[in-house]
Amino acid sequence: MEKEFEPKIVAFCCNWCSYLAADSAGMARNQYPSNVHIIRCMCSGMVHPNFVIDALTKGLADGVMVCGCHPGDCHYQDGNKRAESRSEAIFLMLEDFGLEQERFRLEWISASEGQKFAGVSGEMTQTLKELGPNFYKS
Amino acid sequence: MPVKVVEEWLNSCSGCEISILNLGDTLLDLLPELNFVHIPVLIDHKYYGQTGESDVIEIPEADIGIVSGGVRNEEHKHVLEETRKKTKILIALGSCAAHGGIPAQANMYTNKDIFEKLFRGSPSTDPASDPNHPNVPQWLDSCLALDEVVEVDVTIPGCPPHPDWIAEALTALLEGKTSWSLPERSVCDTCPVIREKKSAAGPVRRCFENLEFNPEEGLDKMRCINEQGFLCLGPVTLAGCAGKEGVPRCIQARTPCRGCFGPIRKGARPMVDMMGAMSSVGLDPKTVVDRRAIMNRYIGGHGNLRPLPARPARK
Amino acid sequence: MGKIVNIQPVTRIEGHAKVAIHLDDAGNVADTRLHIQTLRGFEKFVEGRPVEEMPRIVCHICGICPWSHHLASSKAGDACFGVTPPPAAVKLRRLMQMIAYVGDKLLHFYFLAAPDFVIGPDADYAVRNVIGIVNAAPNIAKQVVHYRQLTAQILENFAGRAIHPTFSIPGGVSKPMTEAERVEMLAHALELLDFSMFTIKFAKENVFAKYIDAIKTLGVIKVGHLGLVTDDGALDFYDGKLRLMQPDGSHEDFADDEYLDHIGEHVEPWSYQKFPYAKKWGDGPAMDLDNPVGVYRTNCLARINVCDKMATPLAQAELEEFRAEFGRPTHLTLLYHYARLIELVQCAEQTVELLEDPEITSSDVRKKIEPRSGRGVGCVEAPRGTLIHDYQSDDEGLITQANLIVGTTHNNAAMNLSVKQAATELIKDGTYDQAILNKVEMAIRAYDP
Ligand code: SF4
Ligand code: SF4
Ligand code: SF4
Ligand code: FES
Repeated sequence: MEKEFEPKIVAFCCNWCSYLAADSAGMARNQYPSNVHIIRCMCSGMVHPNFVIDALTKGLADGVMVCGCHPGDCHYQDGNKRAESRSEAIFLMLEDFGLEQERFRLEWISASEGQKFAGVSGEMTQTLKELGPNFYKS
Repeated sequence: MPVKVVEEWLNSCSGCEISILNLGDTLLDLLPELNFVHIPVLIDHKYYGQTGESDVIEIPEADIGIVSGGVRNEEHKHVLEETRKKTKILIALGSCAAHGGIPAQANMYTNKDIFEKLFRGSPSTDPASDPNHPNVPQWLDSCLALDEVVEVDVTIPGCPPHPDWIAEALTALLEGKTSWSLPERSVCDTCPVIREKKSAAGPVRRCFENLEFNPEEGLDKMRCINEQGFLCLGPVTLAGCAGKEGVPRCIQARTPCRGCFGPIRKGARPMVDMMGAMSSVGLDPKTVVDRRAIMNRYIGGHGNLRPLPARPARK
Repeated sequence: MGKIVNIQPVTRIEGHAKVAIHLDDAGNVADTRLHIQTLRGFEKFVEGRPVEEMPRIVCHICGICPWSHHLASSKAGDACFGVTPPPAAVKLRRLMQMIAYVGDKLLHFYFLAAPDFVIGPDADYAVRNVIGIVNAAPNIAKQVVHYRQLTAQILENFAGRAIHPTFSIPGGVSKPMTEAERVEMLAHALELLDFSMFTIKFAKENVFAKYIDAIKTLGVIKVGHLGLVTDDGALDFYDGKLRLMQPDGSHEDFADDEYLDHIGEHVEPWSYQKFPYAKKWGDGPAMDLDNPVGVYRTNCLARINVCDKMATPLAQAELEEFRAEFGRPTHLTLLYHYARLIELVQCAEQTVELLEDPEITSSDVRKKIEPRSGRGVGCVEAPRGTLIHDYQSDDEGLITQANLIVGTTHNNAAMNLSVKQAATELIKDGTYDQAILNKVEMAIRAYDP
């Protein structure tokens, strides 16, 4: 009997907004799927594209999310802008590594948007279930 | 007492060995201190005894082992493992040994596709099945850098490495040091061209025409190649190709750097960093033709290049 | 039951090879094989690469003669894009090629081949090498090291890289030569010419005369020859028509892009290297010592055989002396070493000639190229033989198909035959030793694979 594929998602969440959102989602009823593993970082701008690419090409995750404050709200002024420009490189790298673009997502989630976090996590889990496992896992 | 040295080449082109010879007079000075006990390119020491009678490979014990070329087949692996066992300090010589090198471009394809092309898909070849005989070693799944197979003590990157660094590393080891490495600087750090931190917009230019420069003037009067709108991997490539002094070699030829010295530090991903460097002068990485192969031209080992799965077209 | 004698690895050659000599019950040679053990797959992994990047990718096929791949690839690229490089660009390409070949020929003669002759084929392996030569003839060794390094330096100072160059690109070359550079290089070129003349004189007196018995027997096989010649039949390394000569000296000439009509490649299960053969010479290839079919050789001996004359006066005088003694064509395998040095003289003379040509400093060195789909064949004479690069490109100028036949590959069948001949002559009744096996290797080394 084959078990249903349960994707593993790594979510880099910035300390000031998205992490709090994830936290509140966990506390409240807005349960997000257990597929999502949260890594807390100070700012989305600190997530070097290498972390994302490594997580995927070393087969550690099926998908990666980077979550930061809404534009203008970054605690370090323009960390999230930086994250945004880096995400372009990430999408190109995905292409070059033969990975589907859907395996990466950049989201702005404020501290009060626990529900959004849960929603995005659910969506991504669903997308990855449809895509199947990251081929670097084999 | 001269130090014993073993030299071997695996999936290599002999350029690294020529680079050793290009030490020239320095080599003559070093020779009395180096006792080459095994080096197939120059000395007739055999693997299985001089008349081939032995069953086990006999690589002599030595203080220093120098190995060029990546690991492509079972025999390379065997020779490398044996060399590692017999030598105290193992040097990976050249970018093939350090990063896979040009032959690791093959990692973009499956072995099946490669053999299909070579033995059945070439216009001059009478189609035949793949060579298969005990004396033609089986290929591994991909072309590997040495440190993917054994522990490496010293890496002298470059394609080929500059003789200055070969001399410096050997001298350091002769003095009893056990490690050596190039300083972590980028090719740009050693490049004299003019930089203004911006470039003309538009797609990245291919080398369909020459750079703009005045041949009577030095490089310090030429505009940076990236800023001229061509792709130059100088920002993400380890400096040192011109030796202790001198300007980066390809730039000297008025051609762009293609990254032959490999990444500036271990574990870096030149592709990611290059995309950043390009954006900073206003070049769009999306417009680089054959981006994956070009940005990984010398570093296809370590999983940087692999066959991509066939995928339905993205929407 | 017979046995197999292995020589592994074959040494003082470029690359990985193993010889297996099969002895019958009586200890005589039943068969031999030269197994080429490596394969890198260039023809496949260049698919998809931009044509203008090819000269700086395929040069990595060989670090000893990267310039030949670099130039054959540039020429194939010129043809793919349908451009003719400006005259000065062609002269600069030729100049770089000649300087590189001077270095290569010095390297092969003194570092790889000479130990067998100067130290002696029977000497212990531990001294029969270039280090032995350094000890035995320190003065000559010093000069060789100096002049070989000089060739590398000239190339580097001007063209950036001596090994794996980037200088030549479809449409021309990356930069012109200044007058100051020309003057400096010419002074060095004259020194190289002197040393080349010294080398051939030295070799004639100390090597070829002394080993004439070995030359007349070791590795001798009667097969055909292939090489480039100019329209008036002179030996040329960069351009011309291909001449395929039968063992009896009759020959046929054809353009490089017609090579598929004349040359086929056969695969044997026991070697990664293919076996090119002459398609029109019967049902080949057959590596039968008494009756070889379709087998031909390339590299210097073949070029010296196929050409009507050398392109320069000093080399021509050497050729005349050579032909007076050995005839045309000659089949004596060890004469590769002699032929190589006649070529050395031509390369050195052509270096000087090119540098004395005023056009070489013209600033017009590159035609602009436009991507297009097409096919291009580029052919040059590499030190190790005729080199053919055949590319097809798509509309974007990316490679869709590449076929490469490199110098040493043409010699594969011939080397196998020479090994067989040498082993059969030397090994009788199961008796062999280090020195005999080394002589078998000398039959391979002559081809400078
Ligand atoms: S690193 Fe370069 S020079 Fe050395 S073996 Fe590899 S391709 Fe040849
Ligand atoms: S990008 Fe190239 S040309 Fe510009 S500074 Fe760096 S190495 Fe020099
Ligand atoms: S410029 Fe770049 S590619 Fe050229 S030799 Fe230097 S490091 Fe290698
Ligand atoms: S602190 Fe939240 S994105 Fe910078």
